[in-house]
Amino acid sequence: MYGIFMESLVIFKLYTGLKPLLLLTLLMWLFLLVMEKNKTVRIVLVYAPFLVAALFLFPVSRKAFVAAGLDGETYYRVLWTIPMGVIYCYGACRLFVGHRRIGLVAACVLVIVCGSFVYQSQYISRAENLYHIPDTVVKICDRIGSGDPQVRVSAVMPTELIHFVRQYDPSINMPYGREMLVERWEYYNAVYEAMEKPEVVNMEELLSATRQEHCKYLVMGQEKQTDTDPEESGLLLIDEIDGYRIYEDPEVE
Amino acid sequence: MLVYKIVGLIFWLLIIPFCMGLLSLPLLGRRHRTPGVALLGGYILQFTLLEIVGIPVVLLAVYHGFSTFIKWYTPFLVVFALAGIWVTYLKKRKGYELNFKEYFSWKEVSWESLVCWLLFLGILGFQLYMAFTRASFDGDDAYYGVQALTAQRIDTLYRVNPYTGRSSPLDVRHALALFPIWEAYVGSMSGIHATIICHSVIPLVLIPLTYLLYYQIGRTLFKKSRGMRAMFMVLIALWQMFGAVSIYTTETFFLTRTWQGKSFAGNFVIPAVLWIFLCLFEKEKTRSRGLQLKEGWSITESGKGILGEKKEGYQGQAGFWLLLGCLNLAGGASSSLAILLSCLMTAGFGLLFALKERQPGILVRAALSCVPGGIYVLLYVALTHGLLIV
Repeated sequence: MYGIFMESLVIFKLYTGLKPLLLLTLLMWLFLLVMEKNKTVRIVLVYAPFLVAALFLFPVSRKAFVAAGLDGETYYRVLWTIPMGVIYCYGACRLFVGHRRIGLVAACVLVIVCGSFVYQSQYISRAENLYHIPDTVVKICDRIGSGDPQVRVSAVMPTELIHFVRQYDPSINMPYGREMLVERWEYYNAVYEAMEKPEVVNMEELLSATRQEHCKYLVMGQEKQTDTDPEESGLLLIDEIDGYRIYEDPEVE
Repeated sequence: MLVYKIVGLIFWLLIIPFCMGLLSLPLLGRRHRTPGVALLGGYILQFTLLEIVGIPVVLLAVYHGFSTFIKWYTPFLVVFALAGIWVTYLKKRKGYELNFKEYFSWKEVSWESLVCWLLFLGILGFQLYMAFTRASFDGDDAYYGVQALTAQRIDTLYRVNPYTGRSSPLDVRHALALFPIWEAYVGSMSGIHATIICHSVIPLVLIPLTYLLYYQIGRTLFKKSRGMRAMFMVLIALWQMFGAVSIYTTETFFLTRTWQGKSFAGNFVIPAVLWIFLCLFEKEKTRSRGLQLKEGWSITESGKGILGEKKEGYQGQAGFWLLLGCLNLAGGASSSLAILLSCLMTAGFGLLFALKERQPGILVRAALSCVPGGIYVLLYVALTHGLLIV
């Protein structure tokens, strides 16, 4: 039980990022605990958040969560029911009700200093198009796609592109997708083993695997090393787009 | 062509939900009969219908699931929207009216509040600009985004492995959460690629919708001090932008994964439960029926009720309980966990308010509002544990 409690505590710490924003919420919660007179607001913003936090850390809750068939990795979402933002913002408004101008500035500065700017994320970049996927993917898919959703083609894609291909064109099948990139899921795929595992790709092994999967196209980055030239192995280089070479396998219909 | 697409989006994302929401307004207190509440209520109703219509289609239609879904879902939306207009029209003849006063009484707003509102609109505008011009990479899009696009292009629901494109058995773990299918629906009705809908259009709707919800929360919290609502909204908007203290917070989901069901769960479904409970137990002055006291006359306390004096009480509870019942099913569109959380919140708040009011009936109403969500959970358990095979 102690172990489960510690795990829940770690999840809580990860959730808050141990940033002072949690402290701000806590201070405003204490302020509301002492000062809030409206019983309805007390229930929603004072008592309920405390009960949720206590239940979250209570080991039996986590056991029940998993026993209900829910994914243990999503246990942190129980904390979503604590309205941290509302507690802070309402508390700050109440605290500074008599000094609104200075209060607003102080409360804003505290949020900015103690928080983390969402657009600083390394995963956010300027969108290249309305799809919000790389232009390179659009060009490659337009080159190999059938244009008809009912006519499928199959293509092996480099790992950095596989998230996006089917977001643009679902008529392009792939022998493996994102499931191979999440190590803890422990999937196996012969094409992936041949294409991504070795530093130098063995073309014979790769083609044997791709032909079993009926892959008509192979897209490779320029830096991809192969033991023999793909064209000598029977593939046709049909195009080169933004540093990616697109090969067609004439043996696959 | 572009104009038609934009008109289509406005129709399906604003007009239809708004008209549907009109249906819920007569059941709410006079104070809540605003266009904002109509839109929020409309979205709750829309997602409730999405689950009611969509789940049988997902489970039963192996082929052409999406076109079957469109065939059934569209008439429901249109009928509910027309019913909303019809009810408003009928009620209007009896003196019923929407509360637009708040939106057009800017003369009463102090310059401080005006500055705050401008600041809030500036922050909101910045967030919308960033949502439109910045791409946020998330691995889950390879699942949810592709499910939407697969529905739209391949005409099948949750029966294709989104990662590879191969046919697969029904994905029972996700099949009841129809948020991606709704996005595909909006895309198909307005002639837009589902991925564009997810990444470029939906954030422009869901971000303001979430703030509309927070505005309603602020309106309830600061019922008497209207000037504080603008400050509250500025702080909330800033909190959302600086709340990305980890990858797990609702704030991170709100601005980087707006189009995913789980973001909708954390940023709409859960705050909506808070809003509904705040409104349910918000005391309002109501005027009891009776004789009117002539101006200048006075009367004893016991006579006030008889003469139509204002007294404090709860208004429009039935409407909010119904909305809560709908929300407890609508949440399932975003994820099965959302339903569990909203039902648990309903049970918890129900218990706390039953104790506060010393009315066991509140617990009964809370339990009843969880029935639709409970049926969903039972179905989910039956599907995921192999008790029901489709």
